[in-house]
Amino acid sequence: MPVQPGEVIDRSDIRRFAWNGRHVSGFGGDTVASALAASGVSVFSRSFKYHRPRGILTADHHDPNLFVQVGDEPNVRAGHRLVEEAMVVEAQNAWPSLRFDLRSANRLVGRFLTPGFYYKTFMGPRPLRPLYQRVLRRFGAGGTVGDGATQVHSQKRYAHPDVLVAGGGPAGMAAAIAAAATGARVLLVEENHQLGGHLRYAGDATLGLVAELRDVVAATDNIEVLTDAVVAGRYDHNWVAIVHRDGAREQLIKARVKCLVVAAGTIERPFVFEGNDLPGVMLSGAALRLTNLWAVAPGSRAVVVTANESGDSVVERLERSGVAVAEVVDLRTTGRRLVRARGRQRVEEVEVAGGRRIEADLLVTAVGWTTATSLLNMAGDRPIYHPPAARFLPGSLPDDVMATGGIVGDGSPDQIIAHGRAVGTEAGRRALRRASQLAQLTPRALAPSPAPAGEAAAIPRLEPADHPEIFAGPTDGFVDFSEDIRGKDLALAAAEGYDSIELSKRYTTATMGPIQGKLEAVNAIAIHAAATGATIAGTGTTTWRPPYAPVTLGALAGGDDDPVRRSPIHDWHVEHGATPLLAGQWIRPDHYGDPSAEVRNTRSNVGIVDVSPLGKIDLRGADVSKLLEFVLINRWSELAIGRVRYGAMCAEDGVVLDDGITARLAEDRYYMTTTSSGAGRVWNWLDEWLQTFFPRWDVRMTAVTDGYAAINVAGPASRRLLERLVEGVDLARDAFGYMHARPGTVAGVADCILLRIGFTGELSFELHVPAGFGLHVWKSLLDAGADLGVAPFGIEAQRIMRLEKGHLIVGQDTDGLTKAHAAALGWAVKTDKPDFAGRPELVWEGESGPERMLVAVQPADPQLVPPEAGQIVDGARIVGRITSSRMSPTLKRGVCLALVDAELARPGTSLAIRLPDGSNAVARVMEHHAHFDPEGERLRG
Amino acid sequence: MLLIHCPHCGPRNADEFSFGGELVPRPGPDSEPESWRDYLYTKENLAGWEREQWFHLSGCRRFLEVERHTITNEIHSVRDVTKGTA
Amino acid sequence: MTNRRHIARYSAFSLIKQSLTGQRWSRVWRHHDLKPSYDVVIVGGGVHGLATAYYLARNHGITNVAVIEKSYLGSGGSGRNTAIVRSNYLTPEGSAFYDRSVKLYEHLADELNFNVMFEQRGHMTLAHSDSSLRTMQWRAEVNRMAGIDSEVIGPPDVKRLAPAIDVSSRPRYPILGALWHPPGGIVRHDAVVWGYARAADRLGVHIHQQTEVTAIDVTAGAVTGVHTSGGRISTPVVVNCTAGWSSLVSALAGVRLPITTRPLQAAVTEPVQPILNPVVVSGSLHVYLSQTARGELVFGASVDPFNSYSTRGSLEFAEGLAGHVLELMPSLSNMRLLRQWSGLCDMTPDFGPIIGMTPVAGFYVDVGWGTYGFKAAPVAGEQTAQLLATGVVPDLIAPFSLDRFARGDLTAEKGAAAVGH
Repeated sequence: MPVQPGEVIDRSDIRRFAWNGRHVSGFGGDTVASALAASGVSVFSRSFKYHRPRGILTADHHDPNLFVQVGDEPNVRAGHRLVEEAMVVEAQNAWPSLRFDLRSANRLVGRFLTPGFYYKTFMGPRPLRPLYQRVLRRFGAGGTVGDGATQVHSQKRYAHPDVLVAGGGPAGMAAAIAAAATGARVLLVEENHQLGGHLRYAGDATLGLVAELRDVVAATDNIEVLTDAVVAGRYDHNWVAIVHRDGAREQLIKARVKCLVVAAGTIERPFVFEGNDLPGVMLSGAALRLTNLWAVAPGSRAVVVTANESGDSVVERLERSGVAVAEVVDLRTTGRRLVRARGRQRVEEVEVAGGRRIEADLLVTAVGWTTATSLLNMAGDRPIYHPPAARFLPGSLPDDVMATGGIVGDGSPDQIIAHGRAVGTEAGRRALRRASQLAQLTPRALAPSPAPAGEAAAIPRLEPADHPEIFAGPTDGFVDFSEDIRGKDLALAAAEGYDSIELSKRYTTATMGPIQGKLEAVNAIAIHAAATGATIAGTGTTTWRPPYAPVTLGALAGGDDDPVRRSPIHDWHVEHGATPLLAGQWIRPDHYGDPSAEVRNTRSNVGIVDVSPLGKIDLRGADVSKLLEFVLINRWSELAIGRVRYGAMCAEDGVVLDDGITARLAEDRYYMTTTSSGAGRVWNWLDEWLQTFFPRWDVRMTAVTDGYAAINVAGPASRRLLERLVEGVDLARDAFGYMHARPGTVAGVADCILLRIGFTGELSFELHVPAGFGLHVWKSLLDAGADLGVAPFGIEAQRIMRLEKGHLIVGQDTDGLTKAHAAALGWAVKTDKPDFAGRPELVWEGESGPERMLVAVQPADPQLVPPEAGQIVDGARIVGRITSSRMSPTLKRGVCLALVDAELARPGTSLAIRLPDGSNAVARVMEHHAHFDPEGERLRG
Repeated sequence: MLLIHCPHCGPRNADEFSFGGELVPRPGPDSEPESWRDYLYTKENLAGWEREQWFHLSGCRRFLEVERHTITNEIHSVRDVTKGTA
Repeated sequence: MTNRRHIARYSAFSLIKQSLTGQRWSRVWRHHDLKPSYDVVIVGGGVHGLATAYYLARNHGITNVAVIEKSYLGSGGSGRNTAIVRSNYLTPEGSAFYDRSVKLYEHLADELNFNVMFEQRGHMTLAHSDSSLRTMQWRAEVNRMAGIDSEVIGPPDVKRLAPAIDVSSRPRYPILGALWHPPGGIVRHDAVVWGYARAADRLGVHIHQQTEVTAIDVTAGAVTGVHTSGGRISTPVVVNCTAGWSSLVSALAGVRLPITTRPLQAAVTEPVQPILNPVVVSGSLHVYLSQTARGELVFGASVDPFNSYSTRGSLEFAEGLAGHVLELMPSLSNMRLLRQWSGLCDMTPDFGPIIGMTPVAGFYVDVGWGTYGFKAAPVAGEQTAQLLATGVVPDLIAPFSLDRFARGDLTAEKGAAAVGH
């Protein structure tokens, strides 16, 4: 076609691309569909169930027939995606080719494929069911997922508009301009590639108006425009998701909107009649878009079925484009009705009432509009059906959501713009009022701006125009093009008893496809209502759920990554070949090659381990000991300065939460360590008690986990090693005994905390050093102790040594039901304290005795290491499980901890452990938890 | 994403907070099993306005008492558990 | 008006015959007027209520039963879940219970003459840490003791069974192994609801949709009747088979429950050609996914972070979900999320359900199903029906009584409460 006044193509920009292996071309600004239509393509896809040929229906993003594969991207909307040079486009859901789709044989058996046919058959015989299932899956729709190698994620961003306008048609633009005039920051989001809405293609007369509005929008500083973007969802408290597209790439933008203006317009409804899915049957909007925007003639000889002005304008437009209009079927006048369209690969003739047949390759229908109320629904609105206009209208909206344009009603462009302007002014007022409220709620905000004065803006009425209620013709056709659902399918579902619209939707799958009901929902409701003898208003709509338009997983995921935590010594571990161990967010050295050798070296010489991830809390104030008395199960009131004590804490149900040590460093200063994984939980737990229960206590708490690196120096030579590096602390056995703490200087680093504690059972010192010097101290230890055989050991060696000593790990040797007594911590429970967290349950557990008990276990066969989680059985009954097990390099035998039924906890009891091969191994409950050095002579060394 | 008006920090996204459940008074440490386990486990689970605890974990780390409607998620009032400021 | 019989039985033959002769299927279930009294009133027309009604009628001949549903059948959790069925639970009692459910599901299509499309494609729970691998091992050991097909597999087997999963070291939390459970799979959730409803209807059960229970009469500690939006019913037995509203319905009878209600969100993508066969779950990433026969990928996550009766859904769910799905299967990046929704889950302190008697005589509960009620429906219905008919608590549900909380005797699923689907 010659140059059109409103066309959006750049005829100098020729883009070549492939369509099913064929070379075709289009212009810049063409969609894939418009370029293909201009190249003479009429069949774009095969339908889901019957594999019927399908062509352009709406020629926009929501066209159910225009899903194509572009490279490794499935389900691309050819009605929206712009052509790019060298794009590779293929039809979906057709095999071996679009023209000869073998699965269209489904059409022959189509009469049996009634809704829910699969519920009624494929049941027996059972052994064949997997075969049925595989066959059914082969008929699935949709494109093909590639390997993802070329995919890129866009980082998300936040926007901070006062007013968000969803929809850049005349009403939306007017609203944006008016809202901006109040001083509000405005974000204007338009789904298509240009602002203008339906005025882009409604006729030449309004093109000037559109240009004018666009110019004002562009010249207004406080309006940001996003085209090819969609407001995908409105969530609680006006949290809004916007998806900004750029070809295959999409970016998620999130905004807390002070006032949302929905100007999403209307969506044209298809007409239900026999042959309504033939290529060449399209909606009036499609015909107008093709001719006006892309200068494509949609056919050569047309029949136009019209019930409104849009259809009327198509007649005029087609004639002006050189398309012969063979017949106009005006549904507003009586007697002349469309019966059916016939043809094989596209429309060939149209039959009207009386049996008259008209030769045509194009059939345009204009039978009404569906309001795009999806965003309003998400804001809690229940739209109400308005019979005179044959469409749903907004019900009641919350204060922070407004609507304008076609959703509300109809009118001349001037009336619509006036409505948009009034809504925009009011939206701006509401948004600024809200901004002022929010600023006042922010204690430290700089002088909050005063709330804008003034009354609510008067909003003129925008009445919906009368429109005949036309949904289906005298013959039956497709209601849901994505799902291949006909009117009679809906009627049958109703007759079978699926008699609410939600049941019908679920049974037939109507509106469940990728168009999400935008085109088909109201037709489905109307047909269901007729089948059940109900009204449309009484039937109501199904619930519209987010997103408004499908969003890629890549956009939703963005580049969000879980943070990684590393100790200050991390790089050294990597350089020295440590095998990494993921422990929550931390990456830790599991071992440096041979954990057994690390154990042996530590037990015979000296080893150092990086325990920086331990949780660390600095506690100061006069009432710290009271807090410790309350949150820990044992006694804390008389801890001397310079002493360290082990403590366990339980939840209110008595279940062990965490354990660690606490040192008293000064009169009113304590230092607590927690497990690595429990660091945050314990900090919060202490804060909760302090704030909610003991707000007057003098306790100041600082989490210093990242402030200190921690290194445990363990082994018989540890004291000799430290004597070379520590200043200001007498390390002699009598001066600095087991379970003592000292401040000191290590390797020249002041303000270190030295603790004579350890998990390994060896003489050991734990050095907590300011984090920035962690690596320095680590290296200094290795340098200073070379002659003593110092070597690093990893988490695995530490776990082996702690198991040799029988120390429990909370969360591994205990579970979500293990209370203190069951965890063998009964010795620590001081029930003579009047109150502490979990006390009642621990009192009762102590009285009745625990149901289970953590015990040390050794298999009779010393070479056997039963797997962790191995079940302890009594015949077919499970009576316990192995919680930890290792081969002990020190004892050269398997050692375990196990949770067993209490009656089996007595030392010497023989246990049967079920092994992976199904056999049972004999094991024995030990007298001491410590398999090694039960008297603790080494650690006191 | 709810917006919670922290009395110390101002309006903040709910993902800065952690939810602590409906407020249940703690019985004395010598209570009978029935009342203690009622405190531990039984919930009113109201469909309507609920007084509940939230913790401004990624903000001021204060524990807050929030009145929220459990159907609409509207928030009525937020105050510090200790200060009683509205 | 016609002498042609309405066809009640479903088969390929009847489907063809009906298609050729004009569709004259009988209604899936019938309308009835509310009777003034029933032997049993079941509150909740979801899969649990309908299954209970069906087994009451079928196994015990108790047919004077009403199922009261405030909306349409299956409008709650039954139609909102991700339809995963499995039995590889952590505890012996949980495994035994769900194993019975899987067995009932395997025969359900034949029994109900309604194809519920149970596809036993296998169920894979991924482990991304040594502690979750240890829990998988624990589950596998317990399952094996109960005769349930369940084993721990390594990354190469994960890759073989689900090639789209990235088992490399690229992800932030690489996959270390998985618990593999071949009998697990997916089922068509609506079909289970409709199949039970249709079969119960055939046996004489009355189904009352769009009828809301407004009060429960309790006299001298025993149930005497139920008030509904359609009128009062005299009955000595009321069974609360609701989810999302179980606290509120129980409160009508004066029974307080250890339940908090949380939304559980799910989402579905546009259809694509087959890319995933088994059901895949990652507890660490809080996500589970499967591909339906229609080609859509169905995703679920863990419950929302705060109590609510809202089913509006949230953006942060969709964001977190997409991020986690792409961690597992990066090739899905340009697939599109089509729809998100949520259902209400009644969470109990120990993640075990509450089935059985209450302090009010004649008031029974089958509630507290958390996120796994759908997979339990057949066995819960069967056992609840047995309890109602015999008055004796069956062994399979004995661990799940309401009074366990007051006794402090919680079920051991709390022991390692990973995401369980």
